[in-house]
Amino acid sequence: MDDLSFALEAGEIFALLGPNGAGKTTTLRMLAGLIEPTSGFIRVGGQVLSRHAAPRLRGRIGLLTETPGLWERLTVRQNLLVYARLYRLSDAAAAVDEALEAFGLRDRGRDAAVELSKGLKQRVALARTLLHRPDIVLLDEPTAGLDPESARDVRELVRRLRSERRTIVISSHNLDEVERIADRVGVMRARFLALDTPAALHARLFGARVRVSLRQPAAAFADVLARAGFADIQAQDRMLSIAVDDEEGATPTIVRRLVESGAEIVSVIREQARLEDVYLRLMERRP
Amino acid sequence: MSRMLALLGKELSELRRNPALVVPAVIAGGLSMLLPFIVAIIVPAATGERLSESSDLEIALEMYGDHPALRGLDPEAAVQAWIFQQFLVLLVLTPVAGAMSVAAYSIVGEKQARTLEPLLATPLTTFELLVAKVCGAFVPALVLTAATFLVYAGGVMMFAQPGAVRALLLPRSLAVTFVLGPLAALAALQLAVCVSSRVNDARSAQQIGALVVLPVTAAFILQITGMFQLTGPVMAAAALVLVGVNAALMLLGIRLFQRESILTRWK
Repeated sequence: MDDLSFALEAGEIFALLGPNGAGKTTTLRMLAGLIEPTSGFIRVGGQVLSRHAAPRLRGRIGLLTETPGLWERLTVRQNLLVYARLYRLSDAAAAVDEALEAFGLRDRGRDAAVELSKGLKQRVALARTLLHRPDIVLLDEPTAGLDPESARDVRELVRRLRSERRTIVISSHNLDEVERIADRVGVMRARFLALDTPAALHARLFGARVRVSLRQPAAAFADVLARAGFADIQAQDRMLSIAVDDEEGATPTIVRRLVESGAEIVSVIREQARLEDVYLRLMERRP
Repeated sequence: MSRMLALLGKELSELRRNPALVVPAVIAGGLSMLLPFIVAIIVPAATGERLSESSDLEIALEMYGDHPALRGLDPEAAVQAWIFQQFLVLLVLTPVAGAMSVAAYSIVGEKQARTLEPLLATPLTTFELLVAKVCGAFVPALVLTAATFLVYAGGVMMFAQPGAVRALLLPRSLAVTFVLGPLAALAALQLAVCVSSRVNDARSAQQIGALVVLPVTAAFILQITGMFQLTGPVMAAAALVLVGVNAALMLLGIRLFQRESILTRWK
């Protein structure tokens, strides 16, 4: 890892993106106090996460590891109870009951972990991660291998955590998912290649575009806009895509010119490139 | 303390759910127990020869002739008492051998099952983790030692000459069983746990931990040949050395336990 500097706010979802071996899991482990940075420091709520302070600060952090890591011979309840006691929760049994209820596991408490499906194991692991109500939640590939319904549940949970003002860091390969839930994204390959909101990253890499849907074939109106000074215009079927420097200033001009030339406009929207495009563009760059 | 107990409870729960782990120790203990009965009772009965008439076993009569607790024993009972007491040293090692597999898997097993990382992410300190892991193997070993001793003493009481069992209830015998044996066991198990945190294969930990059997076996042979006697001062010195070794092993274990290496180099 090299020169990773960033600050996270309470109630923020921050996503780490990058290819395998980019250092996402290592970064999460550093944030969890499992690995010490060779240089620099990590501060949690103003306190430096040193080797000495780590055991105490780990009580404020919840880490969901890449694999659920359950003790397979023990029951779901026993798995959670051990962790409740490791975190010294005042009423461990009540905390476990609450977690089982919250994660829809009440009926599975007596089942051995080995008997659970992958989705259920992940749910137990999430319950374990949040058992002690950590301020900082670190999730390593939280939806990897889950069915769509379970993945949606996890996303909803993450949003709920944000609404509770917890700080969430997610490592993921699922760009679509990250785009839907992350406030900011750090694209990394040993260091940050880019760090910003998904929209800002897109604007920086691709510029802003306005998309206009028409009732007529679009090609006939491309020249109208070219004459109005727009340089990058793409026409396809009944849709025009126009690159703009200033979206708010350009959109009324585009609409007026098109209407004046007889175009029947169906819709005008800001063109939203996918995070995948941003990611792939960044990965194409030389390190 | 509460964290150690939480993890120890988990270790014992896992053991309860997988009793097969202690079966080899029980079998080995049973077989070890049989050996002195074969030597002291079955063979003499089959051949019709008395042990007290063998010149090889005169040492037993010399040793016990003057012992106040055993004075007045029939010569045959004295020889049997001597044999049963000598084998006690080996007998207390058997549970250690059984618990060795539990200790050897303690860290590397968690690594392989991918359960170590979430555990390390809790406020649990290295000291708490290692103590819980060592105790997770030590407590079953102690229970097995006590059970083995009770069965052994019961067998001697039932099948040996009257009074022979008194040799097992001497302070020296009890000290070997319940002080020196457990201290040696603790050292062996700590060594196995230390190694378990540095390797990717439990067998390596098991083999290195088993090395502790060598000095005890040597002590057994020297003792049975009369070259060395576990006298009171010798046992006290041995106990002190073992306490020191255990403290040093705990410090070494904490030093050797590298969270970063464990997390980044596991396969």
